[in-house]
Amino acid sequence: MTFKSALEIDCGLRYMYDSLCIMSSCGRKMLLAREMMTTESEVDAYYSRLKNILDKNCSQIAHKLMYLKDIHNTLSRLADGTTLDDIELFEIKHLAILSAQIGNMLTEQEITAVTLPQLHMVIEILDPDNLNIPSFYVYDSYSDELREVRKQMKALQGQGEDLTDDKRQELATLLQRHADLELEVRKHLSRQLLTYTSQLRNTLDNLASLDILIAKATQIKEMNLCLPRIEKETYTLYNNMFHPAVKAHLAEQGKDFMPVDITFDREPITIIGANMGGKSVVLKTLALNQLLAQYGFGVAAHDCNINLVEDISLCIGDEQSIVKGVSSFAGEILAINTVIGKIKAGKKILALIDEPARTTNPIEGTALVEGLLQVIDTTHGAFILTTHYNIVNTRVKRYRVKGLINGKMDYTLEETRCGDVPHEAIAIAESIGVDTEWIAYTKKNLNN
Amino acid sequence: MPFINEILKYDTLSIVGLEKNVGKTECLNYILRRLPLQEKKVAVTSIGIDGENKDQVTSTKKPEIYLREGMFLSTAETHYRERRLVSELVEITNERSSLGRIVTAQVIVGGKALISGPSSGVSLRRWVESIKKYDIDLAIIDGAISRLSSASPAISKAMILSTGAALSSNINTLVQKTKFVVEMIGLDKLKDESRDTLCDIESGVWGVDNEGNLVDFKITSALAINTIKVDITKGMKIIYTVGALTDKLLNLIAESKNIKNVTLVVKDFTKIFVSEAAYRIFCSRGGNIRVLQKSKLIAVCVNPTAPNGYVLDSDILCRKLREAIKLPVYDIVKNEYDI
Repeated sequence: MTFKSALEIDCGLRYMYDSLCIMSSCGRKMLLAREMMTTESEVDAYYSRLKNILDKNCSQIAHKLMYLKDIHNTLSRLADGTTLDDIELFEIKHLAILSAQIGNMLTEQEITAVTLPQLHMVIEILDPDNLNIPSFYVYDSYSDELREVRKQMKALQGQGEDLTDDKRQELATLLQRHADLELEVRKHLSRQLLTYTSQLRNTLDNLASLDILIAKATQIKEMNLCLPRIEKETYTLYNNMFHPAVKAHLAEQGKDFMPVDITFDREPITIIGANMGGKSVVLKTLALNQLLAQYGFGVAAHDCNINLVEDISLCIGDEQSIVKGVSSFAGEILAINTVIGKIKAGKKILALIDEPARTTNPIEGTALVEGLLQVIDTTHGAFILTTHYNIVNTRVKRYRVKGLINGKMDYTLEETRCGDVPHEAIAIAESIGVDTEWIAYTKKNLNN
Repeated sequence: MPFINEILKYDTLSIVGLEKNVGKTECLNYILRRLPLQEKKVAVTSIGIDGENKDQVTSTKKPEIYLREGMFLSTAETHYRERRLVSELVEITNERSSLGRIVTAQVIVGGKALISGPSSGVSLRRWVESIKKYDIDLAIIDGAISRLSSASPAISKAMILSTGAALSSNINTLVQKTKFVVEMIGLDKLKDESRDTLCDIESGVWGVDNEGNLVDFKITSALAINTIKVDITKGMKIIYTVGALTDKLLNLIAESKNIKNVTLVVKDFTKIFVSEAAYRIFCSRGGNIRVLQKSKLIAVCVNPTAPNGYVLDSDILCRKLREAIKLPVYDIVKNEYDI
């Protein structure tokens, strides 16, 4: 799964991506094309690079990275043996000088997360006069004849007065000769540069990945994210887990986000609790944090242990599709069926299912959920669902949202043994101020 | 040639033509040839495509732009590759046009080039800002065909207007049409304490009442003025339209009883799209228009030759125009003025 396709999962990853301050277009491109990391060694290596950047002052480097241009097309043309034009040679010189400047900054800051290839030979080729400025033209010093032709052109044209026919003819000949000579020089330069193609590509990619690392480090500091510990076993733990987008939204209204703690292993998990108790937010946050960890971002918790998975399935019950002609119930059941298929095939996945079978009658619904938990006895990854049904299966681990306490919602998750779901729906409906007559009738019906 | 010295007093100059083939590019070449480059650093760009060998619409020959050693040019990469001069590329900018990225270079050996710079007013303004890092003393913008927007004082402080037989082959009509544009460019700046507040408004039609309070008429532009059924001038001393000023709004105010007490305000002359007839009626009833920003019109250049071959008498044209607009008027092609 590429990062680009992971953005389609409705868990708040888009918000993280949008608030990421990547300076260059090639940095963004690289991140979007990135595959999810699934091995411990890969993830560990990435986080040790991120850690290296974390306590460094990278603002100057980030500023330099604003000037990084995506010149992959130019490098492909170079690799094909094409004679590059002025603009392309300028791009290469620009990249080489920028890389040298950033290289110096990395040494100064003792940053080892990326290493940039030495390109001083490229600079030497494109800067024959040793001016060390990132501008380019086919310099006089490349060819004595070129210098001579230019002198003649200059003398002939003066300040751009109108020329006689003879002189015009002479100028045309000179211009033609000039173009030929420039082409020769550019041919020669392109041939010389050809041997540095892979170093140049390497530089471009390393600068792009430096850009991503700096942006992630900045985000970690801004949002108070943590670096995850990668668990060798299947155990997952989150302390003070939060959802950055929801937290930011609440902060705008002057409210605080209440972080939650959760741990789980190979046994299926059910989360029960009152409506508006944040159960769906917990599922979305779990999906988000798993993705963040496996794409090398900071994770939204105080600290955490992560169990790497091969795939993430988040079913939040909006699979209804009028186009496909599937009802909301069928859509949901089919989505869950796919998850079961993956688990049975031995795939290590994190499956998060919000209120399965909620759109049908409670008797069959309960049976369906119990059946589901019996099918998924144990998994390689993790299996978590939220429900309002009373589930009697004892082999599951149960979490319960504390719920309404003195009229205020306590979002804390506590482990519970009994499967009895809380009966707070009416109290909550009342607290959000719905029609009083409706509430009165409802209470009366309940008492009967 | 007197107006070169006048140009040097400003840091931005735009050259605009009232029609195609009115000699705008010749005028630009004329100026570029005479600027004292040893004293001033000059950068040149144009709005949209310009500088083709041949006019794309009428297929008549168009003069190329000659750039001298030391000048900076900003043009699309396609045209940069076709240049017939030696220049050092200094920057690939983030601006784009239909012909590719806009690049900036400094001329090493003078010659001719096609100039096609940023294509919108906003990106031109960014160009003027960004070019400052090369210590440019004078940034010159070659305006597009019959588009005056590049001459907006928000972009350039001074301007030169080109007119000619291509606009009309009747001297009197030509003088009349040019005079009207010059009159609009010459509209006075608003002198009122509300000026700063009005400058900050970004859209809509607004009023300032006699007590100095700002009133929003809640319409997006003067084009939607019909939706207002009440007399908007009542109790107002200023009516300000941020976008285009059209005949509709002008007529509406011309018909109100309050016309003598209210001032109609626009951002600058490039926002005025009214017919001369409507403007004359508006004025005769006592109305007046003011601008928030004004650019300095340095001179008017004329080309007495129309693309269809019709040639007007240059001397008569220049004299009549000079009398009408009270500004210097030059026929650059005919008179090879000396510096």
